[in-house]
Amino acid sequence: MAQVEIINVTKRFGKTTALDNVNLDIKDNEFFVLFGPAGAGKTTLLNTIAGIYLPEEGMVKFDGEVMNQVDASHRNVAMVFENYALYPNQTVYENIASPLRSPLYKQDNETIDREVRRVASLLRIDGLLDRLPHQISNGQKQRVAIGRAIIRTPRVLLMDEPLAHLDAKLRNYMRSELKEMQSMFESTVIYVTHDYLEAISLGDRIAIIKEGKIVQVGTRDEIYYTPRNEFVAALVGEPEINIIDGTLVKENGTSYIKLEMKEELVPLPDNHPLTKTLCEYDTNEFHVGFRPQSIDYTFEYKEGYLKGSVYNFESLGNKAVLTVKVGDTFLRTLAPYDLRVQLDIDIYIDAPITKGLFFDSQTTELIGSYDDAKVNGNGTQE
Amino acid sequence: MKRRELLINIVKHVLLIIYALFALFPLFWMLLISFKSDAQMFNTTFIFTPTLENYDAVLLRTDYFRYFKDSLIVSTLAVIVSLLAGVPAAYALANYEFKKKEDLAFTILSFRFAPEILVVLPLFMIYQRIGLYDTYTGLIWVYQLITMPLIIWVLRGYFEDIPIEIEHAAQIDGYTWWQVFLKKLLPLIRPGLVSASLLAFIFAWNNFTFPLQLSGTNIETVTVASLKYLASDTVHYGQMAVAAAFSSLPAVIFALLIQKHLVRGLSFGAVKG
Repeated sequence: MAQVEIINVTKRFGKTTALDNVNLDIKDNEFFVLFGPAGAGKTTLLNTIAGIYLPEEGMVKFDGEVMNQVDASHRNVAMVFENYALYPNQTVYENIASPLRSPLYKQDNETIDREVRRVASLLRIDGLLDRLPHQISNGQKQRVAIGRAIIRTPRVLLMDEPLAHLDAKLRNYMRSELKEMQSMFESTVIYVTHDYLEAISLGDRIAIIKEGKIVQVGTRDEIYYTPRNEFVAALVGEPEINIIDGTLVKENGTSYIKLEMKEELVPLPDNHPLTKTLCEYDTNEFHVGFRPQSIDYTFEYKEGYLKGSVYNFESLGNKAVLTVKVGDTFLRTLAPYDLRVQLDIDIYIDAPITKGLFFDSQTTELIGSYDDAKVNGNGTQE
Repeated sequence: MKRRELLINIVKHVLLIIYALFALFPLFWMLLISFKSDAQMFNTTFIFTPTLENYDAVLLRTDYFRYFKDSLIVSTLAVIVSLLAGVPAAYALANYEFKKKEDLAFTILSFRFAPEILVVLPLFMIYQRIGLYDTYTGLIWVYQLITMPLIIWVLRGYFEDIPIEIEHAAQIDGYTWWQVFLKKLLPLIRPGLVSASLLAFIFAWNNFTFPLQLSGTNIETVTVASLKYLASDTVHYGQMAVAAAFSSLPAVIFALLIQKHLVRGLSFGAVKG
């Protein structure tokens, strides 16, 4: 149980900068997710918090206490590693008991036995205690690794992509398991993932990290509805957001936006602060993002809808992604999984401008959206 | 189909038996002549009057066990010294990044390249000067050329196979670096440790050039002592055979022991499937 502060942390490996002036403030007992693509520095940040790496610059504080000079074993953190890092020559029982046998957290045998069995039954691995790590499945290994981490009450529980090496079915199962377990961890959890579903389903707050820098920190709604830039918008959401070029046109005192695939001009709502912002912007070129689920489609002609053709249909099990080709633009939209559709047939789509996210075409930063109801708080910038 | 398999099996076994005869025949021959008297040495092959005279002469009437003890002391201590210095060195070469790391590793390996005969003469003169000639210390030291590279290179591979996360996990579990090393890493490298040590021991035991040149009358290893049976007038083949048979015993015993430990892979599957 600790509040974790990361202040101006920079970590370099030789000439590469893995973490670039990172600042985070993680609340006590929060389930905090570090989310980003591979190689973004997520694991490095986790290792820096654990004390495995020392940052070249900056401070790591637990409850206001500077931890830079405290080594990994004395920080009282626990960690679940991506590759589980179980001791291969020790049984599941000994693996889980390991922290309580160390000189630092030493307990008598009776306590160890009681605690190991408590944790094992919690994680439903009580039948495996005598096995060696190579005799159990990946999902079970993962639970053993969690067991080893939660057998004592660490100040911070660090989890490094614990679900990454599980097969899809097990991953979904373990994700909901983890969510249930969240309450019993009773400590601050920092969870690293590159999986968007894990990030939004588990995280109280999510930090998006790219190339060693924190891009945005926010709740799942904040990062979904007000992504700070196109990178965040593309990272959050499955299938990926459609980003389309748009040009602002002013005619007879009304502002229109011309989208790249559409001949006609789309009027922008009057008296909306965003319209005003867009009009006063120093460029006419914008990027407009449409989430696939906000793009409507029909196979019958409909007034105001754009004609295109079905380019691809990819079933994802419980839903499907329909890729529509309009002119030279490809748009992804969501469809029911049981839709029967032939390729190249005509389709009519509509992307309501009120659902669009407007980005600066140069910096790719978010300017705003007309979807007022969803904007219930701006993503904090750090 | 079945008949074919049977045939293949028979051929396989016949070939293996031929190889076994081929490989074991010199040893068998050595045992054979160890039971022959000097008189029957050259005029009999398989049919002769067996005698224990050679065993009596070598084991009871010479200092054979002293040579055996010398060999044991020198080889064992050489391996222990190699382990004390080599295990940390192997760990460092596996886990730390430092300048010229590969060059250093290669230099260590290259000690094994130099023909012993090439370096032994200058070593002899140096040893004479600094008083290491004919001492345990001197031999143990020079044996490091044989034992150390082997131990470092085998164990480096073992350390590299252990994911660094295991060390991190143990640190986070509350172990100090030494405890991590002793309690978590050492058990994982044990197969390598055992097999490399035994192999190093055998190499040290079998060495002939170094003890021949660098030791005199104080310390005589079995390999050098075997020469004693080559007298200027006669060659006691029977006695030599006894000495050789006994001196090869540790090698044979350890080779049989190693077999079990040579099965690598304890640390494979350590962290993944």
